[in-house]
Formats: sequence, C-alpha cells, structure tokens
Amino acid sequence: MELTKLSIKSMREKLVSREITSAELLASFSERKDEYFAYVTQTSDLAVESAQVADLRIAAGENAPLLGIPGAVKDNICTDGIKTTCASKMLADFIPPYDADVVQRLKQSGYVLTGKTNMDEFAMGSSSQTSVFGGVKNPYDVTRVPGGSSGGSAAVVAARLAPFALGSDTGGSIRQPASFCGVTGIKPTYGRVSRYGLVAFASSLDQIGVFTKTAADSAEVLNVISGYDKRDATSANVPTPDFTSYLNRDVRGLRIALPDEYFGDTVGDDVRTAVLNAAKYFEESGATLVPCSMKVFDYAVSAYYLLACAEAASNLSRFDGVKYGLRGEGATYEQRIVDSRNKGFGAEVKRRILLGNYALSSGYYDAYYRKAQALRQEIIKEYNDVFTKADIILTPTAPEPAFKIGSSENDPIKMFLADICTVMANIAYLPGINTTCGYTDDGLPIGMSLIGKRFDEGGIIGAADFFERNFRRKDIP
Amino acid sequence: MDNKTFEHLCVLSKLSFDDESAETTRRQLDGIIALMDKVKAIDLTYDDTLDKNEVPFASLRADKAEEPFSPERLLSNTQPKNDCYVIPKMMNVE
Repeated sequence: MELTKLSIKSMREKLVSREITSAELLASFSERKDEYFAYVTQTSDLAVESAQVADLRIAAGENAPLLGIPGAVKDNICTDGIKTTCASKMLADFIPPYDADVVQRLKQSGYVLTGKTNMDEFAMGSSSQTSVFGGVKNPYDVTRVPGGSSGGSAAVVAARLAPFALGSDTGGSIRQPASFCGVTGIKPTYGRVSRYGLVAFASSLDQIGVFTKTAADSAEVLNVISGYDKRDATSANVPTPDFTSYLNRDVRGLRIALPDEYFGDTVGDDVRTAVLNAAKYFEESGATLVPCSMKVFDYAVSAYYLLACAEAASNLSRFDGVKYGLRGEGATYEQRIVDSRNKGFGAEVKRRILLGNYALSSGYYDAYYRKAQALRQEIIKEYNDVFTKADIILTPTAPEPAFKIGSSENDPIKMFLADICTVMANIAYLPGINTTCGYTDDGLPIGMSLIGKRFDEGGIIGAADFFERNFRRKDIP
Repeated sequence: MDNKTFEHLCVLSKLSFDDESAETTRRQLDGIIALMDKVKAIDLTYDDTLDKNEVPFASLRADKAEEPFSPERLLSNTQPKNDCYVIPKMMNVE
C-alpha cells in the first residue's frame, strides 16, 4: 500500500482503525527526498515526536480531524520556537515566540509538522526564485519554476513530501503554484481564515489557504483552519460550514460564468483549450455556461500592484533592525536602519517598497492609489453583476504553464503580468480554487480556477471535486 | 523618473543604492510605472462611502491589547549579552 497516495480521509480511517500508525505514515513521506528545495526548515525530530504522541492519543481513543496526519507550513506563518524566515536574510534567524492562529488550530487537531516551506522573499513573486536560500524546483520538471510565491508548499504536495501544506495568497500565490505543480490550491474568502501570525505583505489582500492533492482533502484541512479569531481585526464572524458536505455532488443546474477577457490573447493556446474543454465537460454534465464580460480585467494588474506595493511599503517599514531581524551598522540611528534594510531585503522587495512609497507620496496619491481604490470598487461591482447571473466563475489560473528557471524572473513586468488571471479575486475578497484540467504535450500541468461568491468556498470545492472525480491526473515523473 | 524623485523615494523607503544598482532600479521602476499609468486612463472616482456597504470588514473590532506576552518572550529575538539586551545606539552624544 502506497501511503503517500491515500486521501486524508483514508489516512484518518486507517489511523483510527490502527491499520497504520502515525509514525509509519510520517516515515512514508519522510523517505521521499526533497530534491526540489521545497523546504527551508525540516522539523524531522519534532515530527517523529509528534507522530509518537499522536499514536498514543489515537490508542487512548481520540479522533481529532488531523490527528497523526503530516503537514507543512509556509515559512511566512509563525510557528512558536521554529524559525520563520519569509525566505529573507532580514528574518533568517527569527524565531517567533507564538503560533499563528492557523498553526494553533492545526496543533489542536493533532497534525504532525514536517517543516517550513520555501517561498519568494516576503511572498513577493510568482516563481519562488527570490528566496534567499535558493529557488524551488518544479517536481514535474526540475528545470522549471513551481510558481509562487508559495512554490515550496505546492512542490511539497506535488512531490508527496506531505499530504497538505499551508500557503498564503495575496495575488495568486496559492492558485498559480498549484496550477504549475498540478495540485489543488484554495484561497478562501478574505476573513474566513485568521491572518494572525501571518507576516504581513499586503494586509487587505493576504489570505492563508491550503495545498492538497484533491479538493476533498482541501475540505478536510479548511474545516480545521477556518473560523473567527478576535486577534485578527479583519477575521469574519460567520459560521463555518462542514466543507466536506459539499463533496460527491453533481453539477446539474450549476451556472458557470466564462468571462471573455480571460480567454483572449493573454493566455496561451494550450491553456485556453484545456480550460474550455473543462467548461464543455461541466456543460455536458448538466451545468449551464454563462458568457459574460469583465471590462476591468485590463486594469486589474495595475490596480493590484498599486494597492499591494502601497500596503507592502507600510507593512515592511517595521523592519528596522531594532526589535528583530537583521541588524546593520552605522554611526547614527538612521544609518543603521538604512544599512539593516539594504542588507536584509532582496531586489524584488526593495523595488516594491519603492513603488509603494511612490504611489503613496504627495503628488501621486490621487493619481495612483486613489485611482486603484476606485478600480477596486469597480471590480467588486463587476463581480457582483456576474454573480447575479452565475454561481461560480471559471477562468484559467495562469496564462502559461510553468516557465523555465532563469527565463523570466529578472523581468519584473513580465512577472507582474503572470498574475493577470488571479489578482481580481484577491481585490474583491473572493474565494478561488485551482485544480488541474489538462497537460501540455511535455506533460506540464495546466490549471483552471473556480471563483465563488464571498464565503461560498463550499460551492467551488464541490465543483472542483466533481471535476477531479472525473479527470485522470498524472503523478510526477 | 528623474534622479531627484528616485533619491526622495530612497529616503522615504529607508534604502540606499550604489550608482550602478540605482540606475538599474530606476530603469525598472520606470517600466513598472508605465504599466501602472494604465489606471489613469479609466474614468472612475473613489467613493469612500461605498466601502461601508461593499467591504464586509469595514467596521473593525476595538483595537485592545489582550493577554500580553511576557517580557522574556517578547525579547526572545534580541541579542543577549552578559544578562543584558543589546539595542542599537540611538543617539550620538557630543
């Protein structure tokens, strides 16, 4: 029995029935080598201890949702006593004195932490190549990027180093790497999952979510990490449904919108064909396809980067080398701060801080930042209009499949445009899920995104689960 | 972007660059700002009253500190030296 290929539900059933132990389950994942630089820190000793404790708890009759199940956490999510580096020199030695809310919830549910995953520095990037520890490789083709910024988490799940991994998504940083690595990745509605303990990049856009092999597995993990948290002022005090109750349904009567703008010249032929084939499959299965238009699509990337960089410039001003983080040198206080930031931040982070301050500075604020806020309102309005006619929206996740390492990462504009299909959901606070809908001739995964109404994660999980039950995925070579 | 604006942004951002990297960064920023200029073309005005209805998180809970960490935990990332914590020199004493 290949334990790493089991669903999370099957793992739990086998653990509870004592057919397998958590220690055996952990060993089956640990035996697989991380050849992709997917981890920044592997917590092997702690994992063995946690698995032994889980086995004792199971023997005592406990049955928590993830008791004894291994999982990884992106390295921008705080873990008490375990380094949380954001893949940056600035935080290379930072050990948080507390757990993020999601980590507390995972601990309460009995998970076994396998390690902290590699990423783009401070989650700024779409390739996972800006990590100060070295770039992540795509398990489907190690000459290609895994996407970003949560590329390590996507690679961990694709390479079956763990059955699930947490990531964060500010403009597509879960869905795009999930697409490149052929796994399922869900970004919940803003507010569904607490951001307490997530190192902030752009606070009105950041959201923690989940990578798994399937939508069914993502429902299991999302059940655990969702819920109101008073420590996050933007946490939504809404009921958390049982997301697994949306599984094993059909799609008869489901109205699926296909916005024209997502299927134009912006996306490659392979991607367009695969996503439209998926749409056709939904239609043949009883769903109704609803053509529509989202005119703000062309402005979304510009608005997104204005908002995200402005918030990043503000959030990252806390890194001054005084309380924590790399400390530079200099004769004066000012010089020390500048030296700390010069040495601690990489080129991409510096560029975004500069851009953010440009958009916020006197003389440019109205022309850029206020205009981006106006566009945000317009994007929300267009989504509201589409959702009067449809239940979910189907789009490509990325314009192209995974690109070659070294081919695009040094072109900031090209990298920004790679997020064109994902940023609008963040801007409008909406949930989105990526699942694989095809492969290129070279065997690279192609992903599609299902976007739902606010707090309708169940709807998109259900639709993705329906598709996955009828689509044959290819494992890594 | 002219040099003066770039230098002003560096001051605001608390960053500095040597001549070569300043020129590269300035050129890259020019390209990105050209992309961002796209927003100027659309005729929209931000309506701050709208956010009260559209943004579900517009009314935030009171910002009250609760369950504070102990000083030991808060200082766990500082650099201890002979039972003291080393903080950067803040002022030059003449």
